[in-house]
Amino acid sequence: MCDTCGCSEEDEFKIHDPNHDHHHQPEHHEHEHDHKHGHHHNHESDHDHNHGHDHGHSHSHVHAHDLDGAGHAHTHDHPNQKVITLNMDILSENNKLAQLNRRFFEGRKVLCLNLVSSPGSGKTSILEKTIKAMIKRNKIAVIEGDQQTLLDADRIEKSGAPAIQINTGSGCHLDARMIELALQKLEVEFGSILFIENVGNLVCPAMFDLGEFKRVVVISVTEGEDKPLKYPYMFQSSHLCLINKSDLLPYVDFDTDKAINYARSLNPNLEFILVSAKTGEGMEKWYEWLGNALRLHSGPGSRS
Amino acid sequence: MHEFSLALEVIDLARREVEKNKAGMIKEITIEVGDLSGVDSDAFESALGLLIKESILNRAKVNIVRVPGKGRCNSCAYDFEMNHRTATCPKCLCFPSQISGGDEFRVVSLLVE
Repeated sequence: MCDTCGCSEEDEFKIHDPNHDHHHQPEHHEHEHDHKHGHHHNHESDHDHNHGHDHGHSHSHVHAHDLDGAGHAHTHDHPNQKVITLNMDILSENNKLAQLNRRFFEGRKVLCLNLVSSPGSGKTSILEKTIKAMIKRNKIAVIEGDQQTLLDADRIEKSGAPAIQINTGSGCHLDARMIELALQKLEVEFGSILFIENVGNLVCPAMFDLGEFKRVVVISVTEGEDKPLKYPYMFQSSHLCLINKSDLLPYVDFDTDKAINYARSLNPNLEFILVSAKTGEGMEKWYEWLGNALRLHSGPGSRS
Repeated sequence: MHEFSLALEVIDLARREVEKNKAGMIKEITIEVGDLSGVDSDAFESALGLLIKESILNRAKVNIVRVPGKGRCNSCAYDFEMNHRTATCPKCLCFPSQISGGDEFRVVSLLVE
């Protein structure tokens, strides 16, 4: 278990089938994710059956002329040893899966957006309002990510859109494989909008591409205008910043212009919309942005 | 952060490469952690040290190579050593700069027998 944030991959994540009634005994309706892609959670000990030569020292000197045709170096001292040069990005597996997700979305003309923020900024409230406003003209589905509970998926379904809940256990972010598995259970229609509401966390989700078209970072005016400076990775990797809870501006010391300037200094292309999910202020601009994104991604004929 | 899950990715990656190359035991693994990669090098090294005990890397020496951050100023194109993503250019004091190095997080090589 990570002693920094307590995150552990040993807790299996769960994807909750949306077709079951969430309101009764949710445990009975949980489906363990299948192990088709289980290499992440495969903790069997890889027993080393080759108890070969333990030379008791660990340094081997590699010289250029020792390279064989395949670019593998063999050492003088240990002719059976060779160097496998990889230069492989560790997150490449996630990135590969994310690209597959991205191609899937492109093929089905699905606009996929990854909503990220710290907990409590209002992502779910924004989605509830958005769904109520747009569901008559657009097909919408939502993938919800939280450590525990079906609460957010329930709220989304009450707003009128199908939702699937991923519970990460003690995991701190969604990754591309979880999205791929969720897509096997969630019906995502051609030409629709798919919102992914990530786990509330401004740190880890920044590193994990899910295959989204655009990433939307949500901050609220109660969080302090220096937020972008404190979490640069998240603001650098996002395309749109929604500043929520504008109705509370008279009661807090939040300098909107400063926040925007701080964020723009990290990411000059970041767009901003000031909204209040509670009062509806600014939400029309958000819906307009969504419409434009849908046209941009899926083509002019994509509105249902 | 989640250096624990990143360490698991490394172990997975090592196992796939051993299978692909039909290699034997891994004696050494070299990993580059850039200062601007977003990965905490110390936490990652601790997590990896714990996890490799029950893995294909259990006999391997772990080399973590830290790579310093490098930036190029967006305003004056000056190249400088960058220790965080929001560093200002030491020459013209402008902001921001493009990251030109130090954001890698990768397995460089495996030494196998």
